[in-house]
Amino acid sequence: MFKREELNVDGVKTVVHSAGAGEAVVFLHGAGTIDGFDFMAPWAEKFRVIAPYHPGFGESGDDATFTDLHDYVMHYLELFDVLKLDTVNLVGLSLGGYLAAKFCSEHGHRVKKLVLIAPAGIIDPQHPILDVLAVPGDQIVCLLASNFEVIKKRLPEKPDLDFIGARYRESGTVARLFWEHPTDPKFMRYLHRIKVPTLIVWGDEDKIVPVQHADTWRKLVPHADIRIYKGAGHLVHLEKPEAADAIAKFLS
Amino acid sequence: MAQQLRFNCMHFMPYAHLPENHRDYKSVWVTLSNKHYDPEKGHALYQRYLAELVLADQLGYDAVVVNEHHNTVYSMMATPNLIAAALVPQTKRARICVWGTPPNLMLPNRLAEEYAILDVMSNGRLEVAFPLGTGMEYWANPVSPATARDKFRESLKIILQAWTADGPTTHYGTHYTYRFLNPWPRPMQRPHPPCYIVGTGSPETIDIAAEYGFGYASVFVTQERCRELNDNLRKRAGDFGHTIRPEQLPILTFVYVAETEERARQEYVPHLKAFFEDYVRTTPQYLAPPGYLSVDQLKIRAAGADKMHGGFDFDLISKSFFIAVGTPEKVADRLGSWAEWMGSSHINAVMHVADMPHWKTVKNLTLFAEEVMPRLRRGAAQQIAAE
Repeated sequence: MFKREELNVDGVKTVVHSAGAGEAVVFLHGAGTIDGFDFMAPWAEKFRVIAPYHPGFGESGDDATFTDLHDYVMHYLELFDVLKLDTVNLVGLSLGGYLAAKFCSEHGHRVKKLVLIAPAGIIDPQHPILDVLAVPGDQIVCLLASNFEVIKKRLPEKPDLDFIGARYRESGTVARLFWEHPTDPKFMRYLHRIKVPTLIVWGDEDKIVPVQHADTWRKLVPHADIRIYKGAGHLVHLEKPEAADAIAKFLS
Repeated sequence: MAQQLRFNCMHFMPYAHLPENHRDYKSVWVTLSNKHYDPEKGHALYQRYLAELVLADQLGYDAVVVNEHHNTVYSMMATPNLIAAALVPQTKRARICVWGTPPNLMLPNRLAEEYAILDVMSNGRLEVAFPLGTGMEYWANPVSPATARDKFRESLKIILQAWTADGPTTHYGTHYTYRFLNPWPRPMQRPHPPCYIVGTGSPETIDIAAEYGFGYASVFVTQERCRELNDNLRKRAGDFGHTIRPEQLPILTFVYVAETEERARQEYVPHLKAFFEDYVRTTPQYLAPPGYLSVDQLKIRAAGADKMHGGFDFDLISKSFFIAVGTPEKVADRLGSWAEWMGSSHINAVMHVADMPHWKTVKNLTLFAEEVMPRLRRGAAQQIAAE
């Protein structure tokens, strides 16, 4: 049901999958793409759902000059211009949540509502985020969800060279951004500039970005509606249908 | 055309006291705890290894070679310039080759300075090689593997500028800024010490050597692959107006000489086996940190890793790599024919591996110097005279 479009965004090949009509809901994926975006399919009845691949991930092209998360903020400003979207509802997962929050703190007037799923970006020495650059990919996959079935069905039975190469490419993109500076001490400082309605969802068994980070978000974005789902891991929106429903309801 | 051959003695200086249960750990690089490093044993090994390189100088080797690795039993030379500095006053004739420090892992001015100091102290005996470093080095250093190649190129440019242009000069680049690039001292050799690029033959590293007209020190590649990359470099260097000379293409070879073939194998093979099975043992993740390889290169390596099975097989490995083990006649014959086949006049011989004891190293060094080197030199001299 998703329509695939290949766009040129300021010289970067950008692949966007979209479905439905109405207000735009843009999903910013995390540091990998195996989890997909099909969870948004039911939303297409009410919204124009848009799932772009970030440069350096999935079907989009590479740009070696993207060395900072801010390059991605600029990329999405450009993409929204190309798509003629004045304002969007922004849904970001993990690294994509970090990006969505950063985008919103800088360009809040382009965002209607903000949804963050287990967002990265918070510095909490007591509860450090998993260093995905240090952990082998096959181990990370096992840490993504409490119910492994939700991710297992998206994995090949035996990873072939193309699959291995695609994962290596995406980890290289992440390294380009975060190897030397995994965190940005200034990110949290400007989060108070997020003024739009905000929903944050988290699984209380998240092994990638600890759920304790929700406390910091509560302090920095006090108006955010924060919902914690019991028994769910990092991919809470895939594990708990009620989490995906809550997002859809919030956006409506 | 016959050429006088040049002989290096290369040393990896391993920490040869692996913990008994080392195979319980997934790698002897990056994460094997340094609690297993005993400084007392380390001291004895440094004394011994330095003496072996000094002996090589006395025996008439043309050069001694050291290199850099981090977080590993494979090498005790995390900062090879210190080792080179220790060798300077103890050696007289041999060239001192630091092959070398990845230029992107160190401040470029500092590397230019250290190399210049070594060159001046040794009265112009320094040679340097620039490696990108193995993937493992990036887990040990605060430098991104994803931007490593770009940073490598920029650092190399700064080092050459520091050596060749009268200072102060400036450099405003992507990774480094120099307002007054003006290192004292300058190197003794003009325009600069002989330089090589180190690599496994990737198009990226071949291109850097070609562009600068540098030599190319290939590591851990098969005979066929090494010949192919030498050809590639000669061709590619031509595009940049450079001619690569035979001495710029060192052949990395593992050498052991003894009285008989059987004895050579008996004395050497267990150590070579330990080298390949234990001292280079690491994980695919450490070998290829994110962004270190292009996706195509990663796939080639992943496909290769699939095909590797079974343990160490000396005969198999001797057929595909440059490994010369046996009587002086046989070793001389192999090295001589490789040099001719490869269009190289430069033998870079690893004379000690893994846990090889001192007596074997001394025996190997001595027999090679007294029985192999003269054979090859005589042969070349006769050929040159005939020509």
